Amino acid sequence: MYKFLTGPMFWLSLSICLIGMIVKFVLYFKGLNWQLDRVAYKAYPSLGFKGAANSIFKWLIPFGTHGWRKQPFMTLIFFGFHIGAVIVPLFLLAHNIFLKEKIGISLITINPALADVLSWSVIISVFFLILRRISLPEVRILTTAYDYFILLISVAPFVTGLIARYEIGNYSLWLTIHILCGEVLLIAIPFTKLSHIVLFFASRAQLGMDYAIKRGGTKGKGMVW
Amino acid sequence: MPEGIFCNKKPIENEEDLKALLNDTGGKRYYEEMKSLEVNSDLLWKTIQNTLKSRTKTWLDICAHCGMCADSCFLYLINDRDPKQVPAYKIQSTLGEIVKRKGKVDNEFMHMVMETAWAKCTCCNRCGMYCPHGIDMGVMFGYLRGLCYQQGFVPWELKIGAGMHRVYRAQMDVTDDDFVETFKWMVEENEEDYPGLTVSVDKEDADILYTVNAREVKHYPEDLAEAAILFHLAGENWTVPSSGWEQTSLAMFAGDWAACKMQVESVYAAMERLKPKRMIGTECGHAHRATVIEGPYWAGRSNGKPPVESIHYVEWLAEALRKGKLKIDPAKRIKKKVTLQDSCNYIRNNGLKEITREIISYIVEPGYFIEMTPNKEHNFCCGGGGGFNGIGIFRPQRNKALITKRDQLINSGAELVIAPCHNCWDAIRDLEEEYKIGIKWSFLKPLVVSMVEIPEHLKPKE
Repeated sequence: MYKFLTGPMFWLSLSICLIGMIVKFVLYFKGLNWQLDRVAYKAYPSLGFKGAANSIFKWLIPFGTHGWRKQPFMTLIFFGFHIGAVIVPLFLLAHNIFLKEKIGISLITINPALADVLSWSVIISVFFLILRRISLPEVRILTTAYDYFILLISVAPFVTGLIARYEIGNYSLWLTIHILCGEVLLIAIPFTKLSHIVLFFASRAQLGMDYAIKRGGTKGKGMVW
Repeated sequence: MPEGIFCNKKPIENEEDLKALLNDTGGKRYYEEMKSLEVNSDLLWKTIQNTLKSRTKTWLDICAHCGMCADSCFLYLINDRDPKQVPAYKIQSTLGEIVKRKGKVDNEFMHMVMETAWAKCTCCNRCGMYCPHGIDMGVMFGYLRGLCYQQGFVPWELKIGAGMHRVYRAQMDVTDDDFVETFKWMVEENEEDYPGLTVSVDKEDADILYTVNAREVKHYPEDLAEAAILFHLAGENWTVPSSGWEQTSLAMFAGDWAACKMQVESVYAAMERLKPKRMIGTECGHAHRATVIEGPYWAGRSNGKPPVESIHYVEWLAEALRKGKLKIDPAKRIKKKVTLQDSCNYIRNNGLKEITREIISYIVEPGYFIEMTPNKEHNFCCGGGGGFNGIGIFRPQRNKALITKRDQLINSGAELVIAPCHNCWDAIRDLEEEYKIGIKWSFLKPLVVSMVEIPEHLKPKE
């Protein structure tokens, strides 16, 4: 099982994820239509680029926008989740040792203690994200089983990874489950709402271009997100 | 009965049909017929397949259901935080469902969609600024209105409004002759006080082509006079077109895209015929949005711009004051607590927040201007935007919506609110009538006319 998951399954899930994300991203921009969207994307490329970059950048900074500042608790748990969810899988030492073995290259790695903190931050944040879904009427009305499913498959690799890391119970069993969860997540990315990993950038870029090109970017000081 | 006499999927194309529909007072029969209007699911689904492309599809797909848009929506806040007023819920339960069901929705569902599209969203676009994914639900509601219009599920007044544009190329029954005559008459009325005051019709190569809101012609002709006076005092070389003078678009509120195109093309034709240096539109928000911001796209102009540079009245006024073409008598500046209504259509959606405040700096005595909270591009809708003001069956919802602006005004402590937008102006008038808070409201033109210095050579001879 372990061999299968770290062998063909690893390649398959990684390829599905990467190719899927590229396809999603390319199709998004190919599907933009200046007349239907009512944004002259091609007529003002540099204006559009600046608007897109600004729109993405501002929202990547915790408390960087009016929207984030308006909801400080959500901002904390949102970034508590996302920072760990991006950094740990990419820069964990163990992942990079594995990567080096498989493809001969590795990325920079983070201190294991930091990885622990970030992983816990992911799990605690997910706990509060779920609590928020249950307790706030304005979030509850939007929430479906699908939303919980997405949270579950997103947090599963972190829970199983920590169990394996603390060697609770059967290490190799938990490690195998951890890898399985990670691969399920990779495969799910292009086919679910998790595609926002790339489509967040695409969608933010689009609205940034809309505001920059059409809705006042050339007048006044531009958009204050 | 799949299609009614009044309520059907056909747009109003002639004066006779328009009058017949108008005579159905309050849309009594119209709404009765709507109860049995059939949904053409095949057409609905086909339209969606042809027009709902990656931007909107992605917006519907990646909405994380986080609810961060809730607090951005004034209708959610003012309706006691009713979860059914959360923008994401409103669009997912309407457009989202229609897409999910591939257009197979029934009459009852479309009634719910119509109410949501016109009474639960004013297309103010504020939610789009608060969504981490950049999902602009106001834009989607505009799109949804188009689908509703196609299926005949549109409020009575807006079916009429769109029909007016189709028949008269104006939002109400004002003909080209009515416009020209009214303008000339208003100018004559003021000739004594302003010697040399005149209006040129269809002058070619003028510096300014002035376009208006048909309401001014029909109900507020003094607005035309004030515009003429200020252009005259500023020494502008200006003209009005004998056709293509109407800048507004109720068709935009109705989602009648074909009528939007017809209307805006009439204005662009005037620009092309008269070749002015610039077009200046009156103090109206949605008129600017329709003709300057969205119009070029309806007309298929790939650079997203009208044929000549087109600006809002506030941009011209700020420039005239800045360059000293108009001089304010310092003794006559406003010396009471005054605030400013930021119109969604040209502040949030066209970046004119500094320009309007520059005007304030010239006409208000320092220390008397108070900002509303929130303000500028974060300001709340007046409560009557997107056609909400004019829809009889949704009047109770509209009056509730006005409370947001009422409380913003009360909290500002202002005695006067400057509202350089017809829709906002109406909403504030209505909220004063409904809630009697003692607020005064005004466009910019009458205020500036009352305080502008008249150059010696333009003064009437004793």
